[in-house]
This record gives sequence, structure tokens and C-alpha cells, in this order.
Amino acid sequence: MTTLNPPRSASPEGSTANRPARGGREHKTRPGFLWTLPATVFFSLFAVVPLIAVVLLSFSSWRGIGDPKFVGLENWQELAGDSVMIQSLWLSLLFIVLGVLTQTPISILLGVWAAGEQRNRAVLSAIYFVPLLLSSAAISVLWRALLDPNFGIPGQLSWLFGDGNLFGNQSTAIAVIIFVGMWQFTPFHTLIYQGAAKSVPAVLYQAAEVDGAGRVRAFFSITLPQMRNSIITSVILMVVGGLTTFETVLILTDGGPGTATTITAFYMYEQAFQRFDFGVGAAVALVLVVVATAISLIMVKVSGYDKMRSTMEGL
Amino acid sequence: MKNTTNWFRPAAAATSAVVLGLSLAACSSGGSEASNRPENEVHVLVYGDAGNTVEQAMVDQFNETSDVKVVLDTIPGAEYQSKLQTIIDTDSAPDIFFNWGGGSITDYVEADLLMPLDDFIAEDPQLKDAFLPSVFDAAVVDGKAYGIPMRGTQPVMLFSNEEVLASAGIDGAPETWDDLLADVEKLKAAGVTPIALGGADEWPTLMWVEYVYDRVAGPELFEAALGGDPSVWESDESREALGMLKDLVDTGAFGNNYQSVKFTDGGSASLLSSGQAGFELMGSWAYSTHRDAAPEFAANSLGYNEFPTVDGGKGDPANLVGNTNNFYSVLANTRYPDTVRDFLKLMYSDEFVQQQVGIGNLPTTTNTGDFLDQATNPDYAKYQLSLVENAPSFQLSWDQAYPPSATPAIHGAMADFFSGRIDEDGFIAAMQGL
Repeated sequence: MTTLNPPRSASPEGSTANRPARGGREHKTRPGFLWTLPATVFFSLFAVVPLIAVVLLSFSSWRGIGDPKFVGLENWQELAGDSVMIQSLWLSLLFIVLGVLTQTPISILLGVWAAGEQRNRAVLSAIYFVPLLLSSAAISVLWRALLDPNFGIPGQLSWLFGDGNLFGNQSTAIAVIIFVGMWQFTPFHTLIYQGAAKSVPAVLYQAAEVDGAGRVRAFFSITLPQMRNSIITSVILMVVGGLTTFETVLILTDGGPGTATTITAFYMYEQAFQRFDFGVGAAVALVLVVVATAISLIMVKVSGYDKMRSTMEGL
Repeated sequence: MKNTTNWFRPAAAATSAVVLGLSLAACSSGGSEASNRPENEVHVLVYGDAGNTVEQAMVDQFNETSDVKVVLDTIPGAEYQSKLQTIIDTDSAPDIFFNWGGGSITDYVEADLLMPLDDFIAEDPQLKDAFLPSVFDAAVVDGKAYGIPMRGTQPVMLFSNEEVLASAGIDGAPETWDDLLADVEKLKAAGVTPIALGGADEWPTLMWVEYVYDRVAGPELFEAALGGDPSVWESDESREALGMLKDLVDTGAFGNNYQSVKFTDGGSASLLSSGQAGFELMGSWAYSTHRDAAPEFAANSLGYNEFPTVDGGKGDPANLVGNTNNFYSVLANTRYPDTVRDFLKLMYSDEFVQQQVGIGNLPTTTNTGDFLDQATNPDYAKYQLSLVENAPSFQLSWDQAYPPSATPAIHGAMADFFSGRIDEDGFIAAMQGL
């Protein structure tokens, strides 16, 4: 709590600086521009250059054979009138919202619990983290088999699952994908919240106890506010993960039934690598880039993440 | 800090120069000429599965006498078509490659990537005459031959669990559409799913659509649509076929959860072999699927029949749908055309036919019948061959007759129609939009 950086003026360098001007001193302590060069080079090579290529590709017609042909706005016009494209964007947003709503409360509760000192806590925590160790593909294949309507769990528990047609209609297919995502990623977010809960100073709880606050009150008045930055971090990761959800959809539902779970990332794959229409695929990818950028900008603004105010202020 | 900067600046500059240089080199390596192809090698690319043992044996035998060596490359299952599309216009393209004829090669023909095989056939007429004509024609594009049949034919048949049929009081397979509807009612009364269907995979559903359209309207309707006349989808016959399909779904013939069932993970096949379903419409490979997964069922109670006839329908009851055959096509810029031609001649050799029959495939050479006694199930092999030989028309699966770009649209429209998300008009509009 007392490890805040000493004020600049108190640094020994300040008193021995050759030039008293404030700007000069700052210039000297700042890392040189050159340090950013490796990152800049790799970012350009693997992000900026491909992005430019995707922009160019979105204005051309290319089936993977021969050279791309410039077609102007044709791909974009096709997308604008494409109901599946519009639907895929809504579905992606729905997936994000449902993902955040299901994963956040559970991860917070589990994380706060796992930060405690209970018996067997370490053993149970280790078990929680198992899904995190499996690949998305393995998890999807596993759940696809477990939820087989005739030979899996629904076949045994027909009082709960009815005819077991989980993958056959839109709402249950979406529910399955959300559930599998929750099963897979809750451990990761639990880990974040466990760390956050552990770093809440014990003195706050002691003070609250003196004031007569119970565990519930302490949770809502101390733990949650203290974890604010972790919650923002976790939600941003969920949003980014939700936008790029792909293999789960591919393996569990293949975008189906029909196009009922075709989210934007899957639609991009379908256009480019199943229909071999790389121009339209590139256009879908750009839409995804724009939407993702917009969402993250909005989130950073709304949440105050850009300021990253310390929760330690006043302590 | 100062020392660091001294070495750091040139090092960083050098690193970025190297990285940029490499990436530029990588960009410019495409588009070179055929001269980059390997010397004294002919590459053959095939779909990777159990059939590769026979292909490798043929390659080894060929290499014993050939100076130019043949190399067999395989790409496993589902990724085959997209991987092929990725490499076919590069120096890594194979000289000879496996395909399904029809729409799976038309893009390549249009891009002038493939060699018409008519010159080979002129030199050695057996390259055409040794194969059943209806099969050979599936790889003819614009009047030119672009493929030599390889592996075997895979017609779609109506499989059944004879024990389940018997216990539901059904005597033999349904001969007409009305028989089938009656059998569905009996099977429902007996408490089983009448027809197993892997609706989650979508292509098994397409088999029902293809057969009903063929029986009602004849193969001409689809051929016209494929040829660029979308108006046929609005015809009375088209609507009649859709109505029949809708009735079949609505009556519960496929149960309530067929859209969650897959064939590819053994789901629908297990329904049939475990006695929970009476029928399944599937390609001829269903026999080997069952032989692997449920050998006792395959040996004792697996029934196989032709698709029922439809009263008043235009289509010949002997017509077939399915995978006509697999084909070998040849890249136009192959370096060793003579070696390629000699290798293709193996596809009608007695030895090749014998070995294919031995692993359960059914090659479509005119002399295949002579070898069927050596098949694992001679009765089944002979029945299949008689179907193919007697079929006036053998319609290649729709999703392979069209170029790959149409597949998601066909599958999506069909799945939506079966589930009721779109009606007849919606299906017709979707097919007209291909």
C-alpha cells in the first residue's frame, strides 16, 4: 500500500540533472522509440499487412484459383442484401451477451470461494480447472457425444430433455453452445477472480466486521468493488472470445440447424473455405473487425477502463 | 543505456530488414512455371482412407518397371476438397488427383488446369471402353473426358433391419411409396423410429430429396436445373415431390430428433443396427460401416433394397442416385504425360479390380462381374453391380454435381424445408438462387 512511486521531483536524478528544464529530464528517462521497433515490425507483418490484403481481397472475386479479379463493391452489395449475414451479427451479439451473463456470476462466486481457506479447497479448485486444459475441439466432440439424442444423456433422461432434439432447433442449439462455452471458460475467469479476491486487503474485512457487516454485505460492499478492474478485464476477454467463437459451433452444430447458429466467424469460414468465395469471406472478416473494434471502444469508454483507476486509492 | 543503443540500433535494423525481405520473397514465389515440378516424379493425390492400401500396392508395382517414379500422397477425409483447392494452382499441385467428377472438377476445367484425356483414349481406347458408359460420362465436361474411373461406384440404397420389420408385422421391403407410408405407420405402432436419418450431417437428408425428385419428375428435372434452367424448380412435379417429402417428415417417419442425429459419428447407423429404427437410406458404404461396428447385425439381419417406386411418377424405378464413381483427373502441365497415361491404364487391369473387390469396393469396369465371387459378401456385391448395370440413369449427388460453392446453400435450404422454417416457395427460391 505504500509502494507508490516516489514523486518525480524526489528522484535523485532530478537533483543532478544537467538541464533543469522539465521536458529535458523526461526525455532522458523515457525509453527510446527503437524499443518499439521489434513489436512494430511484427505487428505490421502479421496484422497490418494481412489487414490491407483482406481489404483488397474484399473488393475482388477469387476462388483460390488464378489471380483475384477486381469487382468493386459487388461482394459488399451481396452481403448487404444477405439475411444470413445480418442474422449472424445478431447471433454473435446474442452469444456474447449470454456468455457474459452465464459465465460472470459463476466465475465470481467460484473465484471468491477459491480464494478462501476452506478444507479441500485446493483439491476442488484443481478439478474445476480441468476443462481449461482441454482443447476446444476435444471439448466439443465430447459434448456432442454426451448430448446425442438417442445414445447420450438425453436418451436416458427423457423426463428432462423430452425428445432430445437439442441440436435440432435454434434455441436449444444456442443453449448448448453457451453451456459448453461456460463449461470450458468458467475455470479461466475463476482464476482471474481468485487472484483478484486474494489481493483485497484483509484490513478492509476486519474493519467491516467491527462495523457489524455480515458476509453478504462484505461481499457486495468490499469484494465486488475491489474487483472492479478484474471484472472489466474478464468481461472484455469474454467479449473477444465470444466474437471469435468458431470451433465449438463448427463441431457442435455446423452452423445449423439450417443457418440457425451461423455466427459471423463461422459464416466467414463458410464463405471462404466451403464456398471458396474468398472475396465475400474477406468482406465478412472486415465486418467482424469493425464490429469488434466498435464494441471494444465502447466498452473501454463506458467502463472507464482507459483510466484504470486504482482500487487502492485512499488506503 | 548508451552501450545498449550502440549495438541495438544496427541489430534491430538488420532484423527488420531480414524479416521484411523474407516476407517479400514469400510473396513473390507464386506464379512460376511448371518447370519447378520435381524431376522423375509423378505425384498422385488421393482421399486418405482404408482404400489407400490398394492404391499404394498399385503404385509400388508400377514403380518396379518405370523410370519415372509415382508417389502417392494422401489427404484425410473431410479436408480433401479444400486442401486440393488450395494447392491445385501452385507448384505443389499433384499430376493426378482423386475427385468425384461433375461439379467437383468444373472449376478446374474452366481455369484450364486440367488435361482433356481424349488423346490418351485415342491411343488406348480401353481407357474408355473398359468402363461402364453411364459411369464414365460423369467426368465428361463440355464433351471432353477429364477423368478415368477409379475405386468404385456407390449407389444409394434403402437399408433395413429385417428383425425389426418382422416384429412390426412387415413382410419384405416396400415396393411402392404407399407401401413405405404403410410401413412407417406399422413401425410407429411398434414403438420404434420408422426411418433413421442423420439430419445433422445434412447430406443424408439430401438422399431422400434426390430420390423422390427422381421418381416423381425423372432425372431430367435436375439435369435441366443444373444446365441453367431454374424455372423447373417451380414445376408441378417439383411441388409434388416437395409435398411428398413434407408429408413423410410430418407423419413422424424420421422421429422427432433426426436433426440432432449424425451418420458420421455412427448415430443413425447405430439406430438401425440396435433395432431402434426400421429403415435407413444410405450409400453402399453402409454395409462396411455396419460390418465394422455391428458385425453380427451385418451378417444376419441387414436388408438392402432399391428405393420404392412412385405411382404415376415419370422417373424409371431402376434409376439410381449417389456417387457415380471416383475419378482420376490429370493436370494440364504435368511433366510426364506418358507416365501418367501408363499409370491410368492400371485402373482397368484385372489385378486392380480384384484388389478393389477384395476390400469391398465395386469398380465399374465391364469385367468386374468376373471377380465378384472373391468379394467379402458376393451376394451384396452382385446385387449392387446389377443395380448399376441396369440403371437407365445414375444421378450424381446434387451437392457434388454442383460446384462446391453451392453446397452450403443446398444443404441449408433442405434442412430448413424439412424442419418447417421455410415452405415450398422458400425452398424453390433457394434452389433458383444457386
